[in-house]
Amino acid sequence: MLGGEAASSGRGVILSSMETADLVTRNVTYGLFLAFGHAPTADSVARALGKTRDDVEAAWRRLEDEHVLVLEPRTPEIRMANPLSAVPSAYRVKAAGRWWYANCAWDAFGVCAALQVDGRIEASCPDCGEAIAVEVRDGRPDAESLLFHCLVPAAQWWDDIVFS
Amino acid sequence: MNLFRSEEHLVRWLGGRKRGETISVAKLSEVAHAWLADRFSPRWRPRSVEESQAIFDRLGLTGDFWRLA
Repeated sequence: MLGGEAASSGRGVILSSMETADLVTRNVTYGLFLAFGHAPTADSVARALGKTRDDVEAAWRRLEDEHVLVLEPRTPEIRMANPLSAVPSAYRVKAAGRWWYANCAWDAFGVCAALQVDGRIEASCPDCGEAIAVEVRDGRPDAESLLFHCLVPAAQWWDDIVFS
Repeated sequence: MNLFRSEEHLVRWLGGRKRGETISVAKLSEVAHAWLADRFSPRWRPRSVEESQAIFDRLGLTGDFWRLA
């Protein structure tokens, strides 16, 4: 849900701490995610940038520190490029002719927002397991009876972003 | 951050645990669009906490729960 805004306070602080080269790495990573339909490897980003795998992994770690990306805990692989999830999740989104996994309900709507297209969100009720489907047209969902619940207060989201 | 079929389903799922905050799906979509619409743009730049908080404030997500810092 978040991304890049909670690590520091004040735009000047963030922009001075995020290297332009890291921003390019971020954009190429997102671009390849969208092109492939799945998270790119460090090798594929390195090839696209003309850099080494180590360069990309180091940039990804800095971007993770800035809450721009989330990596797997033990391997230098993308786990989240918000709103996209690199791993199967409970929230699937059909948008722009493809199925995507989102990290949570918030990000499911965020996939449609970021792609700037209509979409269909599929999930299941955490209580009863019944299927939930929401069509999003022009930013408006067609399922007004559903309820969104956020368990963790906003200031604590990045304490454990995967849980949040 | 989950979608529930109704308040009844949420309460049953919580099972006595402290609840967080709930908003309608329409509001969620509004917030997600305000929050993430630029995320795939090559012109994306990180927001400050203050800028993000302003999005919440503008969309009515106020109170301690929605304070980012």
